[in-house]
Amino acid sequence: MRADLRLAWLLTRGSDRREWWRAALTALGAALATGIGLVIAVLVPMDGQYRLSIAETHGANQVLIGPGLLDEPGTRDGVIIALMLLLLPVLGFLGQCARVGAVHRDRRLAALRLAGATPAQVRRIAALESGLACLAGSAVTTVFAVLFLLRVWHHPDALAWAGMAQVAVLVPVAGAVVSALSLRRVVASPLGWIRRTRPTRGPGRVFRVATGLLAVPAVLLAVSTVNGDPFGLPLAGFALGPLTVFGLCLLVGATAVSLAGWSSRRLGTALAARTRNPAVLIAAERLSDDPWAAARTHAAVLLVTVVGTGFVGVRQALIAEVNAVHAHHSAMDVSYYRTGADLAGAAVLVSFLIVLAALAVGTAESLATRRRGLAAQTAAGVPRAVLGRALLLETALPLLPGVAVAGAGGMMIGVWYASLAADRTVVPYPALLVPLAVYGCCLLAAATSLPLLRRSVRPAELRYA
Amino acid sequence: MSNGDSAVPLLAARDLTKTHGMTRALRGASVELGAGEILAVTGTSGSGKSTLLHCLAGIVRPDAGVVTYAGQRLDQLPEKRLSELRRSDFGVVFQFGQLIPELTALDNVALPLMLAGTPRGDARARAGAWLERFGVRGQGELRPGEMSGGQAQRTALARALVTGPRVVFADEPTGALDSLATEQVMTALAHTAREAGTAVLLVTHDDQVAAYADREVRLADGAVAVAGVTA
Amino acid sequence: MIGMSTRHILLGLLASGPSHGYDLKRRHDERFPQARPLAYGQVYTTLQRLVRDGLAEVEGTGADGGPERTTYRSTEDGARELAHWAGEIAPPAPFVTNEIFAKVVVSILSGGDAEAYLRAQRAAHMERMRELTAVKTAKGADLATVLSADYALNHLDADLRWMTTTAARLTTLTAEVDAA
Repeated sequence: MRADLRLAWLLTRGSDRREWWRAALTALGAALATGIGLVIAVLVPMDGQYRLSIAETHGANQVLIGPGLLDEPGTRDGVIIALMLLLLPVLGFLGQCARVGAVHRDRRLAALRLAGATPAQVRRIAALESGLACLAGSAVTTVFAVLFLLRVWHHPDALAWAGMAQVAVLVPVAGAVVSALSLRRVVASPLGWIRRTRPTRGPGRVFRVATGLLAVPAVLLAVSTVNGDPFGLPLAGFALGPLTVFGLCLLVGATAVSLAGWSSRRLGTALAARTRNPAVLIAAERLSDDPWAAARTHAAVLLVTVVGTGFVGVRQALIAEVNAVHAHHSAMDVSYYRTGADLAGAAVLVSFLIVLAALAVGTAESLATRRRGLAAQTAAGVPRAVLGRALLLETALPLLPGVAVAGAGGMMIGVWYASLAADRTVVPYPALLVPLAVYGCCLLAAATSLPLLRRSVRPAELRYA
Repeated sequence: MSNGDSAVPLLAARDLTKTHGMTRALRGASVELGAGEILAVTGTSGSGKSTLLHCLAGIVRPDAGVVTYAGQRLDQLPEKRLSELRRSDFGVVFQFGQLIPELTALDNVALPLMLAGTPRGDARARAGAWLERFGVRGQGELRPGEMSGGQAQRTALARALVTGPRVVFADEPTGALDSLATEQVMTALAHTAREAGTAVLLVTHDDQVAAYADREVRLADGAVAVAGVTA
Repeated sequence: MIGMSTRHILLGLLASGPSHGYDLKRRHDERFPQARPLAYGQVYTTLQRLVRDGLAEVEGTGADGGPERTTYRSTEDGARELAHWAGEIAPPAPFVTNEIFAKVVVSILSGGDAEAYLRAQRAAHMERMRELTAVKTAKGADLATVLSADYALNHLDADLRWMTTTAARLTTLTAEVDAA
């Protein structure tokens, strides 16, 4: 183990910039995941009424913690659910980060195997590498979280401490385990995966995980019909509430990936057969060759679009209703709902930002992997503008139908809720802006790698095999 | 060099210097390529062969020295014009990597024509004719990863020649091939170039490949060590 | 084609049927393109030796209106000898005699410019390789031509590679030769 650790350290230290990028991004993702996990860990053991406030600090923070959103057990559950949902894009981001320089890393690990390392050793070394990056991220967040918690809560519950400790340890361990699992196939052969552009597989595994997660509440429900109220146990309550929502979202995500992948392939094949534009031809052929790669990043975008569009609709209806019903109540009550809605909106926004970051990282990675080929294209006189357009089209083409459908889905949720609240059909038109904004932002995120394209096509890249 | 004075060369480099980071790849290399001539640039690895080719093809700019193509200074042209020139007048073949892995062989060959504005159907028809000529017609719908090395290189050759360039730049075009595939690729290149009057700048470390050329220039340490014999 | 036996080649050509001297020469030159052409005198003396050794015999003499021609055919002994020879492996480089290396050493010993010699020799080799490449890539070149050209090309290529390595080690070689 010590030898493995030393090797892992040597490899990390001697690795190039791209490896550092992966480590840094992984640490960032781990920090985010730890942060969210820590808040959940503190909130879950809370039971009953609390008064959380930061009396010492100025007003701005007080508004953020909100007029009592965390005080009531009911709204606290809502916050927990929202946080768990927020974990999804973070996990997606981590998955995307693992792909930065993956080809390069796979080759390096294959070289280790060729040098005589056993598969278990290689897996341990790789796991240590990503485990260390996750540990760095998790440690930083934990330190800040502990400091923050001590200011907010004078005598935190022992359970909260235990939960925090668990999260702080679990994140790096999970990172290492996932990394070891994902390398299963790479380390099997000392020659590694020679083919650079191996098609990504469909989301079959996510379906299984989601089904597994959903099976838990299903079993609990079945048990409850025999044993009475399942909500009596705190764990069962958790399993039926947040866990079910989490599992459902995973399922919806996996379905979105399948749909996006399927439509990407169809769209790619159809366009490639007809187009007369070289940039569209290149983008379409790449899509039909590897539809899942695009679909996976885009699935998160689609999910955020559904949730975001739906949310804007729901929020509009909610505020209108609160204003109508509580017209004679105090401003405090209105602000209670408004803050709750705004917090949820902030969560959606944060997850959207994470998704955009993942999209940008994915585009950059796809460029970095292909840089020698791109340099050769430029040397052969293919204009950089064509390559740039092809790059943007790879994002734009498959996203268009997806965002349209997701936007429509979100609108339906919004219309449904608004109509339910107002007893007539109400269309929350501002929600229509969400899909448009999402589409535009995604193109911008993809466009952030255009400067990288300029660097990738430098003739110096021709010198590296 | 002995017959280079009588006619103006199509492509010429004088006293080229180029530094990559700390290493001087070229130090005062001069070379001339006549219209329709096949010139081999040989030398050990690190002698500056590829850098010379990159400078002559307008892919990189030399730090010092002059490159002229058909009477115009290549080293001073803006990138946009260079890119156009590479598309219209030049063809390139590398050891590998010049084919887009996701495109079929046919689309890969048709791509330069499409970039020049030829409708896709015409472009594919002309591409097919070139593939047929190089004996890879049947593999037209395969992607580069599904072809043998020799087939992929003959496809790359078709792509380099499909626009009817005046100069083809070939950088170790057979570097990854066995001797039989090497012979097929080189015979195809030499035949076509001679028939069409296309000049070829052939960078190779393999003397058997260099023997396909009319003339040889040998580089050592970034400068011409032996200017070749003319028949 | 060092050490190649004209006897056996003629025996081989006779194996496909009786033939006269001029015809054998023509068929030899056809079958082994780029080889040194056989002199008619050499064909004649070789045939006489084959007859003397009982490997071939005179079939008859005809004139066909032209000059008188003797037709030869292979004997059973000849066929046996041919089979034996064809199955025998060629000794791989039994003697390492090398004119180029000898010239390099002599030019070091006599204070000449070994490097210039190697350069000139290299150019000559390349020129010959270009000729052979032109022969084999010419339109309508048959496989026998291609293969025999390849044989020579590969040997020339091996020489070239050896010359390149030697040129790179001339300083060390000079020191060694001068010291001895």
